[in-house]
Amino acid sequence: MKEKCIEIGTIQAFLDGELAPDIVEKVTHHIVICDSCAISLAQAQEESAFAFSALEQEFNTLVPTNRLWVKINDSIEKQGKRKSVWHSAFAFVSSFQNISNQTIAAFASLLILVGLFTSVLILRNNDNSDYVAEKMPDKQSAVKQISNPETTNRSFVNPPQFLPENKGVENLSAVNLRNDKKEFRAVKPTFISKENNSLPVKTNSRNTKIENPKVSWEVKPRTTNENLAGEESYIKTIATLTETVNSRKDEVLKPSARFAFEKDLAIVDDAIKKMKSEVKKNPKNEGAKQVLFSSYQNKIGLLNSVAEKTELMASLQ
Amino acid sequence: MILRLKKYKKRFSLFIVTSFICLNAAFAAAQITVEPNPKVLIRTKIKPNKVWKAKKKIENESSIPAEKSIAVDANVNVSLCVETGNLKINGWERNEVRALVTQGSQVGFKVSQKNKQSNKPEWIWVLGFDPSKITESGADECLSGGEIEIDVPRNATINVKSRESETTIGSIGKVTVENVGGDIFLNHIARGIEATTHQGDVMVGNSSGAMTLQSTTGNIVVFDASPSEIGDIFKAKTNNGAIILKDIEQRQMDVGSNSGSISFTGEFADGGQYNFNTLNGSITLSIPQNSSSKISASYGYGAFNSEIPLQNLVKSPASKTQNLTGQIGKGDATLNLTTYSGALLIKKQ
Repeated sequence: MKEKCIEIGTIQAFLDGELAPDIVEKVTHHIVICDSCAISLAQAQEESAFAFSALEQEFNTLVPTNRLWVKINDSIEKQGKRKSVWHSAFAFVSSFQNISNQTIAAFASLLILVGLFTSVLILRNNDNSDYVAEKMPDKQSAVKQISNPETTNRSFVNPPQFLPENKGVENLSAVNLRNDKKEFRAVKPTFISKENNSLPVKTNSRNTKIENPKVSWEVKPRTTNENLAGEESYIKTIATLTETVNSRKDEVLKPSARFAFEKDLAIVDDAIKKMKSEVKKNPKNEGAKQVLFSSYQNKIGLLNSVAEKTELMASLQ
Repeated sequence: MILRLKKYKKRFSLFIVTSFICLNAAFAAAQITVEPNPKVLIRTKIKPNKVWKAKKKIENESSIPAEKSIAVDANVNVSLCVETGNLKINGWERNEVRALVTQGSQVGFKVSQKNKQSNKPEWIWVLGFDPSKITESGADECLSGGEIEIDVPRNATINVKSRESETTIGSIGKVTVENVGGDIFLNHIARGIEATTHQGDVMVGNSSGAMTLQSTTGNIVVFDASPSEIGDIFKAKTNNGAIILKDIEQRQMDVGSNSGSISFTGEFADGGQYNFNTLNGSITLSIPQNSSSKISASYGYGAFNSEIPLQNLVKSPASKTQNLTGQIGKGDATLNLTTYSGALLIKKQ
């Protein structure tokens, strides 16, 4: 009995080598005894040959594509090795877009900003050329009080400033200052000549050199925020009272009283100003201190009198 | 150079991009509103002036002066306020308060507190109307008139506030008086004085107790003052005026003037502490030659002179401001003199 003919799909699979070995054997036996199937196989072989020849160029391109992928991967690896800090930072910052919590993203960004500014500041501070006191030799006295300032031909517009309150100026030297950085703050000095001190000439601090070792360095005690013990509380009280009085004095004081008040205030302010400068010149001047504190008390009394008057008038309404 | 610039250009643009992203993020963070802690409340503005309602003055329409009296405790505390008028308060032997107002407001009393034992008023207010007749709340409590006379028990305590009033008080226990304008005359006050006038003089005589006398623009004159208790302090302060003191026996004195001279005549008590300071004026002390005190003087633009020789004299080095210490006799009292611009003078009595 003649076996049933093989389907064309099976023949194609036979050609492609996709059939199981037992089926391949059956198909082989059938083709030998069946002419029509042998013809079909031959036709299929021809068609496959034609198709492969037509697509040969296309199939061959697979090899260069693989090479291309290898090349690309190699390039990425190389690029990754050469990636700069900025690229990393940029990638890091870009990754914030994926962070859902806005607060965390903002905080991280702020941290980066602070870091950037700190590094800039550190880089600037490493430039020691701006600090004259740091450059001084250890044995050289960094600070010397001038007995006769008239002999100097130069003075600081912004003299180096010192924080210590309890240290005598004479105890300060470059070594001490360097060892005690917390209490020392040097600023860039700018020179003006005494002959022409009305026009301060700012010099480049990087090029500032101590050309004349005989020049005395006039270092005054700190002028800002340096108050005597207890002076701060007087100043605060006066500031508070002044604010209160200024808001009310026009309605409380008659013209004659206002005149007297302003005159007294001017006298007190003048006394405070002069005594303060006197104390700055000589911090050991007990007389000036006494008069200064007395003046502060008088000013408080003066301002207080207006405040009391305001209160009294209000209570009589 | 151009190559270097190109190289840095890339970095610079990256930096700009990064900064921009960071700033954006910071801005986003700033948008997140944080509820402020309600407990932290900083007031930067001064409270606006209270709007006062004008009170209704109750006039005495009769031609006869308004007069009232009330029986009180001997140690009564009398409070009153005066709008205008010359106020005279006098102590008498009766345990009774009598008030008389001419050409002005009515008069009345309000009892604030009674003595539990005697059931007599020990704290009363003298008002510009009679509260038993006028009950409306808007009536002016302050007295006003041409002359206001009040008699009180000798041991009474008086509290007076006045706008424009010449105040004369005599022969009573204790006084607290505060004037916007007008002189204050106090005499024979037994247990202490607090007197303030913002424009006018303060004069005190023959009185005892702790004293605090202030004048904004005016002189202060005190004579024959003494402590009623140990530790009573004498304080006198004027912004613009002279201070003249004679025979003050308090052991602690603080006397100061902004613009005006200070004159003291009397003795320093042993162990006493005397502080005199003026900004723009001289300080003159007339004391017995046998006085005993340590002296510390600070003066700015002035001079120090003493008719009584000082022992252990120490002067600060010559400068604009001088500090001087010395001693008269054994140095029992302590004397501090401070002037900014004026002379310091110690004279023999």
